[in-house]
Amino acid sequence: MNDILLEIRGLRASVEDKEILKGVDLTIRRGETHAVMGPNGAGKSTLSAVLAGKENFTVTAGSVTFLGQDLLKMSPEERSWAGIFLSFQYPVEISGVSITNFMKTAVNSHRQAKGLEPMKAGEFLKLMREKMAFVQMKPEFAKREVNVGFSGGEKKRNEIFQMAMLDPTLSILDETDSGLDVDALRIVASGVNALRSPEKSVIVITHYQRLLDYIVPDFVHVLKDGRIVKSAGRELVGEIEEKGYDSIC
Amino acid sequence: MIPSVDREAHMETARTVTVASGDSLQRVFVLRNADNVSLPVDRLVLEAGSMADVTIVVMPGVSCDLSLTVDLRGNDARCSLQGVCLCPGDEKVSLSVLLNHNMPSCTSSQLFKSIAGGSSRVNFSGRIVVARGAQKTDATQESHSLLLSDSAKVDSKPQLEIYADDVKCSHGSTIGRLNEDEQFYMRSRGITHHEAKVLQMISFLSPVFAGIPESAVRDQILEETEAAVRRM
Repeated sequence: MNDILLEIRGLRASVEDKEILKGVDLTIRRGETHAVMGPNGAGKSTLSAVLAGKENFTVTAGSVTFLGQDLLKMSPEERSWAGIFLSFQYPVEISGVSITNFMKTAVNSHRQAKGLEPMKAGEFLKLMREKMAFVQMKPEFAKREVNVGFSGGEKKRNEIFQMAMLDPTLSILDETDSGLDVDALRIVASGVNALRSPEKSVIVITHYQRLLDYIVPDFVHVLKDGRIVKSAGRELVGEIEEKGYDSIC
Repeated sequence: MIPSVDREAHMETARTVTVASGDSLQRVFVLRNADNVSLPVDRLVLEAGSMADVTIVVMPGVSCDLSLTVDLRGNDARCSLQGVCLCPGDEKVSLSVLLNHNMPSCTSSQLFKSIAGGSSRVNFSGRIVVARGAQKTDATQESHSLLLSDSAKVDSKPQLEIYADDVKCSHGSTIGRLNEDEQFYMRSRGITHHEAKVLQMISFLSPVFAGIPESAVRDQILEETEAAVRRM
């Protein structure tokens, strides 16, 4: 059982009294890549927000355990320290805070949570340069304010850069393909693929097949009206693309 | 050159600093505790082509009633005023600025930022008067505030009086709260909630300090401000 990373059981969640998730079950083991697909309004983004700990959603029933711990009792920062990373569909602009300062604070918060000293400045800058090159971000971005004035592709590359810096055990990619041209999509996908390992898992949340051509999932789930209505292997992607969501259940 | 400080006959208590033609004055006034609640100057007079750059920092725990008048008395004078008020508790801070553009082609800019928490009160009133002959005036004024609690209160009163017809004047005033989407984004990267707020507050304040040249004074003020923000 040790290889179970994330276990979601009967998860129900609401926002402002409207129930969005109506009983979600999902088990993710180490090394697996899962795609959660579904039409607009199915609850895909709510699922990722609830897993990351966004406070305007109320969990009304069910449980989520991550490496045996009760995830729902943890703050967003504790979830990050535990190894969960959410790549945002709409990365937030933080004016006045440089990427370097932002990342340094994040990396050192992780280290502090593990009882480690802050990373040495030289070591940190070297790591940053390396990971920025990894997603083809120009070095001058280090000084830019987080996401401010970034194009859609630059924002998503910045997400994958942060993912590479924090080296999470479970990465959740929420509609990472939205707003990306083919070149940016390739860069982002190859970044994600390079971070896959037998120890680590990825959840790709997407409406379209496009991203899954590059990040090939082991399992595919269809989320519809707050429930997972179908789960299968990667062949389901083609079936959805061909027949649409309406033909499935 | 050291600017002259004199008491004028008609204003018994007013302390006036006159910046002579072509000179420049740069000062940072930090009010750190309850024994230190006034500015050493009430009035700045700028003669032709002179320049003044004044920064006011009001630290937590200081209640004060500050007023400053600036007279731009010669052509091409430039004045830049900026300030920060940190009021986490029950402070009452009032700041009023009167900026008189008396002569043509002068430039003034004002930028004030306050963070109010607890049950503190911050009043900012900024008046810009552009006299009839003061053509080609360029005057800007901004005041921005962050409210950290429901019982803190900020009043911002920008006023423009313009009697000339070829001028550029603008003012902007905002009162807001710390953005929660930004906080969630930072927390999702492992930055603690407290640290996320500190980053937000520092970035909110930093434009005020951007104009101070790099120096030991600047470093010390930034350090003191950051330490104060961390305790808010």
